[in-house]
Amino acid sequence: MKIAIAQISSVLGDLKNNFELHLEYIKQAKKGGTDLIVFPELSLTGYTLKDLVENVAINPSNNHYINELKLLSRDISIVFGFVEEKERGIFYNSAAFLSKGEISHIHRKVFLPTYGMFEEGKFFAQGKYFKTFPTPFAKAGMMICYDFLNYGASYVLFAGGAELIIVISAAPGRGNGKDGRFASQRMWELMGEAISYFSTTFLIYCNRVGTEDGKIFAGGSFLFNPEGKLLAKAKDIHTDFLIQDIDLHDINRIRKKRCYKRDDKPEIILHALNRAIKSYED
Amino acid sequence: MKINGLFIETALTKFIKEELSKFNFKKGIFGLSGGLDSSVCACLAAKALMPKNVIGLIMPYGNLFSVDVEDAQEFAKELGIQTRIIDISPMVDAFYSRFPTEEKLLKGNKMARERMSILYDFSAREKALVLGTSNKTELLLGYGTIHGDIASAINPLGDLYKTQVRELAIHLGVPEKIRKKKASAGLWPGQTDEEELGISYETIDQILFKLIDERQSKEEVINSGFNKDDVEKIISYIKNSQFKRRLPVIPKLSERTIGHDFLYPYDWDR
Repeated sequence: MKIAIAQISSVLGDLKNNFELHLEYIKQAKKGGTDLIVFPELSLTGYTLKDLVENVAINPSNNHYINELKLLSRDISIVFGFVEEKERGIFYNSAAFLSKGEISHIHRKVFLPTYGMFEEGKFFAQGKYFKTFPTPFAKAGMMICYDFLNYGASYVLFAGGAELIIVISAAPGRGNGKDGRFASQRMWELMGEAISYFSTTFLIYCNRVGTEDGKIFAGGSFLFNPEGKLLAKAKDIHTDFLIQDIDLHDINRIRKKRCYKRDDKPEIILHALNRAIKSYED
Repeated sequence: MKINGLFIETALTKFIKEELSKFNFKKGIFGLSGGLDSSVCACLAAKALMPKNVIGLIMPYGNLFSVDVEDAQEFAKELGIQTRIIDISPMVDAFYSRFPTEEKLLKGNKMARERMSILYDFSAREKALVLGTSNKTELLLGYGTIHGDIASAINPLGDLYKTQVRELAIHLGVPEKIRKKKASAGLWPGQTDEEELGISYETIDQILFKLIDERQSKEEVINSGFNKDDVEKIISYIKNSQFKRRLPVIPKLSERTIGHDFLYPYDWDR
């Protein structure tokens, strides 16, 4: 299958403009015969929304932008980020997977960074779960940015049978790296490599670029194969568009020699987790 | 939007007193124009710090605002605070003799910054903290000069709309001739805020209160009976002046960046 990663720079708070940007890239991806295109976190709205959250919130069951994207998803699956008003006045940082004209799955960001420079917990409600879902190609699971830095979240997707893990992100660069990049980029690549390797899944990480209120989004999106091999890597800091062929059969091949999935014991992990949680009370 | 004058007075005098003492200041200094906001600030400062610790700098341009200068002096005398008159025309004219312009707004902004510069100079000479006199209406509309009249160390009136400042003025006993004066940014003689903005402060404040305090949408405000053009104009003023309400944006490069994740309180170690 062919995967496109659209490493774009969204316009803060401008749904219409961002929607049109999505259309352009979807068109381009379709031309390249792509099966799936992935956009970054909050790609329809921009990231540093603060009090603008409510202005750009969408209820996907009744929204013309989503309806148009659903129509386009008859030919190509689409992953994008948006502000979801699931219930009145309750806003989530959400990722949608559209396919065959329908919403296959919505993931609501569970881990909302609220420390240092991050304020998501002030403006968003917390998602409640991680879940795998079927797609036309493979069983998939999604995470949004900081979700991915909690390896328990990846484990849940692994235990749920994910073959394709999709992470969408709006990660600002931070730290002057010695190698001429933001130091923070290694954090994502390290996790990407490790999770793809030990989950024996394909792993897509789509980060955004552009600047908002002094944040410089670092880009550097990537795609790992199921044994932690880097298949594609987008530019740092600059807009980029990648199309990469993957062979889903690699999963079978690699799982023959690395039996992490076959030998997983979720019930033991769950039991141990319950004990660990119980012990908090001691 | 109604305020309780005594409550606001109590809260703001406590704030002024404590904030100055945290920074080891006894005295407060500010620009006294003879208008509503600076007169209210003078009252609050006199109550919080004792009149002898309050300095109002009266900074006219030549004799363009002579009535206001008289009003300012008279009211300062009544409060027992110190004043000093500094004519800014020599400094401003010196600049414009080299770079002439007929643009009133340019000149007005220059004057506002000249006053700021003098205030900060005297703040150091007198060991007095600069008190701001910008109200919530002006700050939200961006109706002030960045690094000019908006500049201050603490801004006691920053969360009171213009019409609320007027109410507070009644409670504090500010003379009627000051309270009834047409509000002016003093950018040029005869200028009035309301004429320039094209909307009365009563209307502006009601619209702002709905938009900001009550978090109503543009449509809700218009549907509650306000003029569409007025509401849209006010929203565009607010949006276009966001930069005046924030520190300059710093691009984040390091692990710890001023304005991003270097987040000590204003009253750090005070």
